[in-house]
Amino acid sequence: MIARIIRRLLAGVVTIACIYTVTFVMVVSLPGNPFEQGGRHLSVEVEQALRARYHMDNNWLYFWEFLQGALRLDFGPAFTYNDWTCNQILASALPVSLLLGLLAMLIAVMVGVPLGVLGAVKRGGWLDAATSGFVLLGVSLPTFVTGSALLTVFAVYLKIFPIGGWGTLAHLPLPAIALSIPFIAYIARLTRVGMLDVLGSDFVRTALAKGVHPRTVVWKHALKVAFLPVLSFLGPATAQAMTGSFVVEKVFGVPGLGQHFVNAALNRDSGLVMSTVLVFSTLLVAFNLVVDLLYAWIDPRVSESV
Amino acid sequence: MMRLVWLVCATVLVGTLSVYSIQSHEPKADLTYVNPSGIHTLDPARMSWLQDFRIALNIWEGLTSLDPETLQPMEGAARFPPAVSENGLTFTFTIRPDARWSNGDRVMAKDFIRGWRRGMEPGCATDYTFLFTDHIAGAKEYVTWRREAVVVLTALSRLKEGWEITARQARGLVLHEAFQRALGSNTDLAHDLEHDAGGQDNEGVLAAKFGRLNLDWSALHEEILDEHATRMEERFARIGIDAPDDDTLIVRLNHHCTYFLDLMALPVFYPCHRSIELLREREPGAPITAQGLVVYDPQWTKPKYPRNGYPGLITNGAYRMSDWIFKRRVRLTVNPFFREAHALSCRVIDMLVFENSNVALMAYEAGDVDFLPSMAVSYDHEIARLVRTGRRDDFHLCPVLATHFWNFNCVSATVGRHRNPFVDARVRKAFSLVVDKERIVHNVLNRGDRVAHSFVPPDTLPGYTPPEGLARDVERARRLLEEAGFGGGEGLGPIEMLYTANDERLAQAMAKMWERELGVHIELRAKESKTFADDKANQRYMIARGNWYADYNDPTTFLNCLTTGNGNNDSGYSNDRYDQLIAEADTLRDPIQRAAMLRQAEAIIVEEDCPILPIFHYTEPIAIKAYVKGLVPNARLWFPFRYVSVEP
Amino acid sequence: MNHKTEPVQNRRRRAVAYAGNVRQGTWGWARGHHLAIAGAISLILMVTASVVTLPWSVQWFNVQGLDSAVRHPPSMMPVVAFEHYSAASATPKTSDRSRGLKPAPREELTRFVHRATSWCGHDDLGRSLLFRLLPAFLVSLAIGAVAALMAVGIGVAWGAAAALAGGRVDLVMMRIVDVLYGLPYVLMVILLKMALTPWLTSLFGGHSLYADLAVLLIAIGGVSWLTMARVVRGQVLSLRAEPFVEAARAAGAGPFHIFRRHLLPNLIGPVTTYATLVVPQAMLQESFLSFLGIGVQAPTPSLGRLAADGVEAVNTFVGYWWLIVFPCGILVVTLLALNFIGDSLRDAFDPKSRVHGPAL
Repeated sequence: MIARIIRRLLAGVVTIACIYTVTFVMVVSLPGNPFEQGGRHLSVEVEQALRARYHMDNNWLYFWEFLQGALRLDFGPAFTYNDWTCNQILASALPVSLLLGLLAMLIAVMVGVPLGVLGAVKRGGWLDAATSGFVLLGVSLPTFVTGSALLTVFAVYLKIFPIGGWGTLAHLPLPAIALSIPFIAYIARLTRVGMLDVLGSDFVRTALAKGVHPRTVVWKHALKVAFLPVLSFLGPATAQAMTGSFVVEKVFGVPGLGQHFVNAALNRDSGLVMSTVLVFSTLLVAFNLVVDLLYAWIDPRVSESV
Repeated sequence: MMRLVWLVCATVLVGTLSVYSIQSHEPKADLTYVNPSGIHTLDPARMSWLQDFRIALNIWEGLTSLDPETLQPMEGAARFPPAVSENGLTFTFTIRPDARWSNGDRVMAKDFIRGWRRGMEPGCATDYTFLFTDHIAGAKEYVTWRREAVVVLTALSRLKEGWEITARQARGLVLHEAFQRALGSNTDLAHDLEHDAGGQDNEGVLAAKFGRLNLDWSALHEEILDEHATRMEERFARIGIDAPDDDTLIVRLNHHCTYFLDLMALPVFYPCHRSIELLREREPGAPITAQGLVVYDPQWTKPKYPRNGYPGLITNGAYRMSDWIFKRRVRLTVNPFFREAHALSCRVIDMLVFENSNVALMAYEAGDVDFLPSMAVSYDHEIARLVRTGRRDDFHLCPVLATHFWNFNCVSATVGRHRNPFVDARVRKAFSLVVDKERIVHNVLNRGDRVAHSFVPPDTLPGYTPPEGLARDVERARRLLEEAGFGGGEGLGPIEMLYTANDERLAQAMAKMWERELGVHIELRAKESKTFADDKANQRYMIARGNWYADYNDPTTFLNCLTTGNGNNDSGYSNDRYDQLIAEADTLRDPIQRAAMLRQAEAIIVEEDCPILPIFHYTEPIAIKAYVKGLVPNARLWFPFRYVSVEP
Repeated sequence: MNHKTEPVQNRRRRAVAYAGNVRQGTWGWARGHHLAIAGAISLILMVTASVVTLPWSVQWFNVQGLDSAVRHPPSMMPVVAFEHYSAASATPKTSDRSRGLKPAPREELTRFVHRATSWCGHDDLGRSLLFRLLPAFLVSLAIGAVAALMAVGIGVAWGAAAALAGGRVDLVMMRIVDVLYGLPYVLMVILLKMALTPWLTSLFGGHSLYADLAVLLIAIGGVSWLTMARVVRGQVLSLRAEPFVEAARAAGAGPFHIFRRHLLPNLIGPVTTYATLVVPQAMLQESFLSFLGIGVQAPTPSLGRLAADGVEAVNTFVGYWWLIVFPCGILVVTLLALNFIGDSLRDAFDPKSRVHGPAL
């Protein structure tokens, strides 16, 4: 088991290194100037000196320096927001996104799995139609539409929640729900397919024939197997949800990490781009590892084959 | 299985709630307003965004400040008006004895010199250095000298590491005496390099030659750095800024300047407390970096920054910043040492960040926010209608000193693979004559902007009447196009229009007008803002959107942009007569004569050469709740909160 | 016997009924296909409508309306006069695409089509929303289709090559897929789009419209093949162990022959299924890019772009509901239809396959 973890960790490190390299190459090859602000132009002399100061005039050196900094958990200055370092920006945005992402995934699992099971068990009934309808609507509408709709209905007209912003418990539910909708849909779908598959298998038939209560069979025995594909989906999905969503953050005014993926790239803020990517890929590798371990724990047969 | 899920869920829930409970609940602010994007920087030497200015003008105070209604300069940290010499070129400011920093220290003349110097030194300063070099005697020489040194030192710091240098850097280095000394007896080589440096075409050759030189770059770098650092103070003293004692600041100008007191209220002219020196970054033995830059730890603007004994940001305005959470909130509280601190009605002010203006407006409607300094929503025409019909007293349309225009590329022969017809002034004029600005302003945008016939907004700058500009005349446009050899649009390739997503509607409407009236084919190119800026600055466009916000109350803030070689002259326009008129106007002391000359210059750009096509002067919709008194909509969107009172 | 315990007979009967409900569900199975059929029909209807009206929509989609038509709500009667549109149709150079088209169709027909112009209202430039929706639907569908084709082309080749080569090559190839998976999607698309645009624009000789579309397709298609590659690799690996492939190999068939004759026919099922599901994903991703303002270039409409433009149309002050309802409605119907078809194909071919997560 430990050897396996170590092997996965090593592979993870290689993956992160590759991701860093790819991102670096793309960022330095972009046109545009990170030092320029507003509509005015910087003098050439000063710009070259600034580039030299941050070792941005030599890509090799910049590559290694940033990497060394990142290993010391020091991501250097942010060029667009001069007064802040990348570390501070991450420190202010990451907790928000982690919280929101965890909550969203929690909602997604707690709503999506039962929906999927119901859809599979009541296959063909009105309940299946209703859940499928909801699920497909969830996958079919862009998040900016569902988010805006939630905001308009629950905050503007019903006045249950505050309109946008961050800072109190009341600010949490709407963005979390908006963020979870596509995941709910996806998890429900995976569960339904997995469940249908399992319900047709021999062991379910045997259990039913032996007189085990159908509810127990479905929710205890079958779900345990049907949950496996959901589990492997949850790894990357949680990493994705916890690094924020640009759309949800923009619609609800949440100061999360997702905006920086977009804005840092648009501002050519190379340091911030690479730090956000490193955070994302580290989370991704970590969650894949966790999922892997859970998988092996739930279904020991898998551990040897992967 | 389910038990496991529940276990995980419960842990997560507890964890998240505990993370959450860390947030402390603070009392609500007296006034809450929204910025569409976060603060870019609070360093007065670097800032160029209006939302940054808005915070800065409340936490700092310059030698003068602006009256929130009339925008005329009035008393600031110095007595008003200052003593002006006979020839109008020397200003003597006396700092008020009760001007205090937020830690209780007296504001002194030296603090202003420190702040101003940061606005000039390469490394600290960015956009507004020109305000010093254009106006203050000796500043231009100093900044040029410093920049040259930065080029040489950057080149040497690269050569030291064995990297290539650019031709611009090579040229700077060749002309430097220390380098020539280092070459020593090898005069042939020196002569050769100097000869190469004079030429324009052999950039690569020149840069490559340095790679082969076998000099001790490290020693040379150290020598030049030392020499430069020792001379810096002496060179800086030559600038026309002097502090004979703690209360007196004498400023000498290089030309007569009617708007100088207006400039003194701008952030780049704010003072700077001496505590910043604790955060100066220096090479061993020199107060500058290896590249010759003057650099401070950029975090000096934080209210709390425990490093090297730094006390946190100290300011001299009516307020001080007590809290700054990145992209979320800035909280201002009254500066207890401010002279009228006890009289201020608005004690605590919150600036919140909402990236989405629509959400900000909804929050305003719900009463969570008291003031919106901008409402960039897609239904801004609806806002304008509500104001015009008088249905909303709390919404205001502020005509601002800003112009929306389109640049024509006046220099490049080709753009992409297509010939650029706009090098011909007749084509530019033809395109300008066709656009129906009334229609764009009233039908397409319909948000209360003012149709622009000139670059400088009319009626807003004292004593200046801009020229009438061109009236729409399609027939004349077609004739002009024919004269230029493109009758009926024949021979014109696709015309590229460059803009950012915000101007989509406008660009589409304009493209339609040109296609319909001139028979040309327009290709719309919406680019994201950085690529757009890059393409525009390097003249990789035919027609590109531009906009300009006035920095101070004078036509030159607009007109200087189109002088030859100006850093913001994106159209690449160059006309000797225009440059001459602008330069000459600066020498005139009589304001009427000066205005007439500037008007003559502007007439060249809006009536003859047409390097730009002004479309409208912006109107900014803002929202102020009725219970907020003392916030006056004005043309610079300049909102000092010290005059504000909030009725319960 | 405890009276509280259910008779065993009874319990067993109910269990069987339960399982029967689960297993057979004949009605449900048929209904699933009904939905797929309904989806296919609605797709065909929408495609037909868009294609049939193409001669008018390519000329009218960017015709700006008279002042009164700006943001005019839907009405059965046309708001903009016929002459306004017919003039636009007659101008030779209104749009690049109209050049290659045949002379304008007969006037009576055009008059007839003109009656529909205000059915979906007008946008903020007074353009007919219906005649923007019709080509937008095709543009979005084309983006989805090309993304699916790219996913099929690259994904099948990559996945099959990895599985057939095996060993170290397989490891490296799948590691590359892992790395690409690990890149944050949003950032990747933005970076790709910005890095490739100048390069492609010069490649297309300054024809920025094509360059833009190409970048969009590369950005969307470039990430959609990853899951396909994994699915195909898994399929090929399991197929390779099947007796008939072993037999072919024993008979001396080369790897290429085995792939073409034995593996490819067996791959068609899962590949088609997955490709159908890529289409809605790509369409959603395009809408996301449009929301960011880096989607399809104006004035070319796409469903995502129209939805993104319309999203602020509903607020506390004004409700231009048609600007959001119609684009979203069509988007939902299209995506539902595609999902139904995809699900039903998946049920038919391979109930176990999984697809990549939703785009955020």
